[in-house]
Parts: sequence; C-alpha cells; structure tokens
Amino acid sequence: MTKRRFALLVGTTAAALALAGCGNRADPGTAGRPRAASQPSLATSVLSQHGTSWAVVEMGGSAARQENFWQLFARPPGSARWLLATPAGVADNGGLVISATGPQTALTGFRPSQDLKFSPLAATANGGRAWSETGPLQPGVANVADGLAAGPAGGLLAVTGTGAETSSDRGATWTTLVSRSALAAGRAGRGCGLTGLTAAAFGSDGAPLLAGSCGRPGTVGIFEQSAGAWQRTGPRLPAALAGSDIAVLALATSGGTTTAVLAAGTGRHASLLVAWLAGRSWTLAPAFPVRGLLPTSASVWPGGAVGLVLPGGRGAVLSPPAKASTRGAWQLLTAALPAHTGTLAESQAGQPEALAASRSVLTVWQLAAAPGQAARWQRLQTVKVAIPYGSSS
Amino acid sequence: MPGMHSGLTDTNQVLVSAFKTALLHQGELALLIFTLLAIGWVASREFLRAGAVGAGMLRSQAGRVQPEPIGRRVLRIGFGVIWIFDGLLQGQPAMPAGMPSQVIAPAASSSPRWVQDVVNWGVTGWSYHPVQAATAAVWIQVGIGVWLVAASRGRWSQSAGLVSVGWGLVVWVFGESFGGIFAPGLTWLFGAPGAVLIYCVAGALIMLPIRYWQTPALGKRLLQGLGLFLVGMAVLQAWPGRGFWQGRTAHRAGTLTSMINSMVSTPQPHFLASWVAGFGHFVAGHGAAVNLFAVLALGLIGAALLSGRRRVLWPTLLCLVALCLADWVLIEDLGFFGGLGTDPNSMLPLILLAIGGYLALTRPLTAAEAPTAAVQAEPAAAAAERPARRLLDALRPVRLTRGFGAASSQLVVAAWAAAVILLGAAPMAVAQANPHADTIIAQAIDGSSASLHFRAPAFTLTDQAGRQVSLASLRGKVVLLTFLDPVCTSDCPVIAQEFRGADQAIGAAGKQVELVAVVANPLYRSTAYTRAFDRQERLTGLPNWLFLTGTLGQLRHVWRDYGIAAQILPAGGMIEHSDVAYVIDQRGYTRTELDFDPGPGTASSQSSFATELTQDAEHLLRSS
Repeated sequence: MTKRRFALLVGTTAAALALAGCGNRADPGTAGRPRAASQPSLATSVLSQHGTSWAVVEMGGSAARQENFWQLFARPPGSARWLLATPAGVADNGGLVISATGPQTALTGFRPSQDLKFSPLAATANGGRAWSETGPLQPGVANVADGLAAGPAGGLLAVTGTGAETSSDRGATWTTLVSRSALAAGRAGRGCGLTGLTAAAFGSDGAPLLAGSCGRPGTVGIFEQSAGAWQRTGPRLPAALAGSDIAVLALATSGGTTTAVLAAGTGRHASLLVAWLAGRSWTLAPAFPVRGLLPTSASVWPGGAVGLVLPGGRGAVLSPPAKASTRGAWQLLTAALPAHTGTLAESQAGQPEALAASRSVLTVWQLAAAPGQAARWQRLQTVKVAIPYGSSS
Repeated sequence: MPGMHSGLTDTNQVLVSAFKTALLHQGELALLIFTLLAIGWVASREFLRAGAVGAGMLRSQAGRVQPEPIGRRVLRIGFGVIWIFDGLLQGQPAMPAGMPSQVIAPAASSSPRWVQDVVNWGVTGWSYHPVQAATAAVWIQVGIGVWLVAASRGRWSQSAGLVSVGWGLVVWVFGESFGGIFAPGLTWLFGAPGAVLIYCVAGALIMLPIRYWQTPALGKRLLQGLGLFLVGMAVLQAWPGRGFWQGRTAHRAGTLTSMINSMVSTPQPHFLASWVAGFGHFVAGHGAAVNLFAVLALGLIGAALLSGRRRVLWPTLLCLVALCLADWVLIEDLGFFGGLGTDPNSMLPLILLAIGGYLALTRPLTAAEAPTAAVQAEPAAAAAERPARRLLDALRPVRLTRGFGAASSQLVVAAWAAAVILLGAAPMAVAQANPHADTIIAQAIDGSSASLHFRAPAFTLTDQAGRQVSLASLRGKVVLLTFLDPVCTSDCPVIAQEFRGADQAIGAAGKQVELVAVVANPLYRSTAYTRAFDRQERLTGLPNWLFLTGTLGQLRHVWRDYGIAAQILPAGGMIEHSDVAYVIDQRGYTRTELDFDPGPGTASSQSSFATELTQDAEHLLRSS
C-alpha cells in the first residue's frame, strides 16, 4: 500500500470514528449525580372524622394520549361509601389537587394541561354535591398532592411553579407569598440549598409552612413564616442521615398536629421518615427502609397517621405516637395491595382502605382480619365512572 | 368541538382533489408548451430549409454529432430515469398532506436539534402550501429526468447535471435530513449517506466538460472515491456499541433487526413482505454473523476499488452489484413502498454510479471519437467580439429562428423539460413569498365557509375590563366573532391564536376590525377567567380584542341565537361546545359562517384559519 492510500484509509477511519461518535453521544440527562427522590403522584386521601373525606385518583387510559381523567371522590360524614364528586367544567387530565377548608367545604385546583397554563379553582360548600368557580390561580398549582392548603382563619396557600401564593378571600384572588427564587436566596433557603417546593400547610398557630427538597445533604426543607421572615424548621435528623438528600414528600396539618413525610437518600439506601409538630417541638418516627421504593401515594390522616402506597403492590401505615415520649409505629401491610391501588384511606372504623382505579371503575377495598386468619382485602364498593374518553385528545 | 379533533389525514379528499386538479392543469400546460415548441421547431426548420444559410446550418448540425462517453451516458440516462420515477412517486395522492408528517419529520426525528431546525424550515414551506409544493416536486423531478435523458451533449446536457445537483441538494437537506448522516444508527445498509446525495454526485459528473471523460483518470478517481466511502462505511458498521452486532438482546431487537421489522410493517406486496420478514428473522438469530458479512463485504469491496487494479475491478463490480441488489430487496425493501415512498433508495443509484465509474475507466473516448479542437473551440473572431454585442446579435429574431430550427429534436425536448421545471417551480416560488398558509388547509379540515346575509342577533355583554359592550356599538367595523371556553385545554387557545394571527395579517386596517369572543362555558364565565385567558394567550395588548361574558341567562340567550351548543361533560371532561366563527359586516349583517374546529392546531393549520378570517375581513373592508 502506498503512503497516499494509507493516508486515505486513516482519513476514512477517522471520519467513521467521528460519525460513530455523533451517533453514540451519552444522554446528558442520565449523567451526573443521582436525581433527588421523586414526588408521589397526586393520588391521595384527605380524611375527616366529623366532616367529608376526600380522595383523588387517576382513572381512564393513557396520560400521554390525554385519555386519563383525575377523579375526586367524597365520603360524607358517617357514611362508608365513596361518591363521585369531580367538579365539572374543566378538563382535569393534568391532575386535581384538593384541600378541605372545613367539615363540608373544600377547594379543588385543576392542574394545567395541554394549552391551559393556569389553574381553574372550584369550591364546594356542601360536601362536593355542587361546585362553583373561584380563582383562578395563575400560574398553575404545582404537581404535588399538598399543593393547596387551608388555614384556620380562612386563609389559603398554594404551591405553584414559581413559588407560593396566598389568598384571604376563599380563593377568589391570590397574591404572591414568596417566589421560589426569593425563598431559595434567603438565609433559610440557602441553608437548605432549596431546589423546589413540594408542599404547603398552615401550622397549628396559623403560620404558613412551605416544604421542599434540599440540595444540601442532611437538611430538612420545611420553612415557617414568622414575623415576616422565613425560617427553617423541621425535625432533627439522626446523624446517620447527615449525608443523605432529604425531600419532603407530604406536609399537612390536622387536629392541631402538623405531619411531614420525608424521603432520605436515594436508591438502595433510601428510607422514609415521618415527623410530627405539636406545639413547637418535632417528634420523629423511626426510619422506614424502603430500598429505593419511594411511595407513589402519601396521605396524611387525622391525628397524624400516614398511609403510603409503595411500588410492587405494597402498602404501609404509620400510626402516630400515642404519647409524646413514644415515636409512632410503622405497620407494613402484609396483604399485597389490590391491583391498581391509587391511594390508601381509612374507614370510619379505622381500617385501611385501598382505592383502586382501573380504567372507568373504582373499587374500594377494606383490609379485614378474621380471628385466627391473616388479614386480607375485601371488596367494599365499586363505582363506575363515565370517563369522557376522547374529549381532550 | 373541543377535544373532538377532525385532524387532517393524508388522504383528505379536499387536498387530494386540489392536488389532482393542479396536476391536471399543469399537465395540460406542459402539453401545450410541448405542442407550441414542436410547431415552432418544425416551422423554423422549414424556414431554414428555404434559405441557403439555413440549409447549410442544418447540414452542419447533422455532421457535428459527437459521440458521448459510454460511462456518462449510463449515468445520464440512468439517473434521468430515476428522477422521472421519483417524480411519478411524488404524484401519489397522499403527498400534499403526508410528505411533511410521514416522510420529512420522521426522517429528522432522530437527528440533532439543529438539523431538525433546518428541516423544519422546509416542513413549514411545504405544509403552508401543500398543493403547490407537491405539484412542484412532481414537475421538477420529471423535468430533470426528461432533461437528463434528452440532452446528451453540450451545455444543455451539462446544465441538466447542474439542475440535478441543485435540486438534489434541496431534497437531501430538507427531504432526507442530510441523509441522516448526523443521526445515530447511520448505516450503509439503510441508505447512508442518502440516495439523493448519490444523484448529486452523478449530476456533478454530468456537469463536467467532455474532456474529463477522455482519459481513464475520471473513472479511476470515481471508483477510488467509492472505495474510500465503502471502507468508511465498513468501519462504521463494525463500530461496537451501535447495536449492529446483536440480532436481538434480552429486552429488544438489535438495530438492524428493528430497522428491518419497521420495513416489514409497511404496506407492500405479500411476497416481498415475507422475504424481508424472513431475512429479519434470520438477522435476529444471527446478528453477529450478518454484521460480520456486511463489514467484510464492504471492507473488501472498498479496498479492491481503492486499489485501482484493473484485473480485480470487474469481479469487484459484480460483487458490489450483487451486494447492493441483496440489500435493496432484503433490507431497504425496494425503498418506495410504505405508502409515501419517494425514491427507490440508495442501492440502484450506487450501482449506476459504480458502473458509470467502471465504464469511464475502461472505455473512455478514443482519440478518434473525441471532438476535434475545431468543433470544440469557438472561432477566434467570434470570441474576440464583445460579450454584450454577441448577446444582442444572438437575440436577433432571425438568429433565434435559425438557432432554434438548427437545434436537434433532443434539444427541443430538453428545452421543454426545462419549461416543465419552471412550470412546477414558479407557483411554488410565488406561494413561498406569502408567509401565510393557504386557506385550503382550513377547508380540508372543516370544509368551505357558508355565505350568509342576515342581521346578526343583537347582544349586550361584559368585556374583560368589566365594560358593557353591545354588538350595535361595534357598527361600522367588521366583527370577527367566535365562542371560547376560558378554561379549555385544546381548541380555544388555538382559535384565539388564529384570531391573533388574523389581526397581525390585517395590519393597520385592524382598527376597522373587532375581534370578539363570547364565553362558551356555563360554569367558568367570570371576568377573572376571561382576563386569565387573555394573559395566557398574550391578548391583553390587542386593543381590538374583546372577550365577552355575562350572566348564565345572557350567555344562553346569545348561544341560542348563534346556534352554539355548550354541554357540560361529567368526570373531568371539558365543556363541549361548537367551534364556529362568524364574519359580521360593518352594517351588522352576518356575511360568513366558518366551521372553526382548528383540527390538529399545527402552525400551518393555525395560519390557514387566520388567512381565511383575514381574507373575509379584507373582502368586507374593500367592499365598504
């Protein structure tokens, strides 16, 4: 082979290598540090002992084809049955967020979807039998189950894509409480390395609480507005979690107790923590190892109980501490959750319920244990929903 | 109805019918041009024969016929036929609507963002003017093909090569996304670096002056270039981590298997599908062996061509032809099936190129066949003349008539082919000068508008600022009226943008046009929501935009008067309401009713609906 031909071959090879390189670029999205814990879906339950309980589940078909429709179910006080209570007038393919504002009253926010960029709001005064427009909330409510919160004095909080909004007229008008960037740039936000907001609540004293994910390991991102300034609050974590990323998955106040569900770490070392704020002191439950199986639904119930739906058909319930000196107890539900379980609730009698949605049918299952037998799920109710397929595609 | 998109199918009857009509009309024009040329040519020849000078020119022309190198002839006629075939494929009824979505966009989908941005420019051009673009593609490609076949020598023939290169590059960039050379999975087996790039190479060779074909050097370099390319493709094929060594992995088919499977799924004759499917099954089971064969075959053929040794060229050429044919049938699946095939893919052009190169190397023009210097060179006296004077002289009617009459029949056909190209390109060029899409897209989605003439039902409602607005108060202006749901997730934002587009197109005359929307949601109808919608759609800055609402009773009254249905759907469905627009003249008369379902809501359909509104409004403004 002559030198010229050799050079030609080398050139060809180099060109081919360059082309091969073009076609085999690494996906930048998968490179770098592991992603923080993903948030649970919007499926959740908001229970009340003396008022209407609420549950949100996703039904229908593919979300990619806009054939999914989020449904709101209401359980009237004293009843064991769930009724469809989805507010009409807005396509809810983007999701629904609910906040109970009183025993019979609630505020629902529709998540933006397709070309709708803000959140229409609907309010009910009769347990979901009728809804009226309020709002809107612009920009739209964030994609988090605890994105709306009601305070004891009628105030409202909303987590949006850009920060937090507040309303003092039942949701008719909203003003910015704090932008995400401002909160992140403040002293409290810098201490956490705030990366995003994930929940809002009012403390038992009526002070606004915001929660988020922290970029600084071992830091809990719960912020309380006090005297016009934002301060970081939250439980003191065990030293073993000092190197773990912490994300707040849920935050809610019920019966004077604020409950926070935290995810610590990622992958095989991930664990869940629950903390309760009563008065000014936080109580932390023992860490619950989930080995990477972060919950797809997290619901905070009255008194501070927590119901979690985990991947692989598993569920867990955490009972709050009976006394201030104790730390609460995790109960991993031994019976596998029914297929398609979207969220867990609790019956009036205190038994776990699983709300499972498959296309247009919601099935409510209750965990029952006969004496001497293992607990198993019993079908309690089915609700057929007329899904408006094709109406958003 | 929102959420009930009619869409725009490839076989939409309005578009197909318009395409066929345009082809027919342009075909008639092409025939007319041919007839006129033929008559003119025959008449010119008769005129020449009548005179002594002319008769001499005819005799001179007859004696001046020069042979064409066989390699060039193969390329010229071969690629001419392929261009004609491609042009006929462009005549498939689904081309106007299907070309951007079924051919161009999928080809670009795996390429980098900048490639997609470039290609998107072409997609926009086609999808805004689908009928003109589709007919242009037919006539340009048929014209290039006929021109190549007809013009065998001289500048006309070289010009055919130049046009072939120019149009080929357009097709390669916009139609083939640079032949996919920037996309992962690039492989010779599937047509890299793009069939049309091979057309361009052939066109460039045809452009070359004949003297380049008089020695074997051209053929040698062409074959060496081809060999270099094949060696490069072999290296690329062998490159690990690209999925070609695996017929099937634990979770999915290998790269080649999935490519073949995608070809099998396209519409085609059963026997062909079974062959390709059978080969796909074989590849799935023996991926490494098939890839090894491909790498070795490409590498060895490439190296043999690169070596330039004459005694190995003939068997190498046979191997290349066999490999290309096998690939063309078993992997490329002949290339032109699948509903919207635009060419027979890369293997036939590659075979032609290789044969052309081989013939150029082994059978160049002999010294006896080569044109003499006397014929080639211009008379020294003529060359010394000033160009401007020469041009003026050449344009004299007598000279033109003589020149035309002295032309060969092949040249006349070539001239007709050039006219056919202009015939196709001109309407497309004119259309491209218009930045707004044709109304035919809107008509394809919703049908034609209805002309009306009755007094528009009166109403008084509240605008987004809380002011009372009556239709009567808008007298003296053209009113474009529609009905929108402020919390609609699909159609209404698109319609709002179509109105906004119309306002932009109307321009300064927009002061005489009022854009009016009435709320079409019985549950979300407060001014807080109309204002939120305006902010979302960036309509707050439009002084002539009104989004009107009222009590439920008021709105129901207006809906009834204008035939609007607004139905509440349960379980998270959006309000189902009529998508309609009315054009109301300056005297308060409804003049046009447009079915205004925005269909797919693409840039072209939005622009098309906006154009429809604009034309109606401008018509009323002109006639006032």
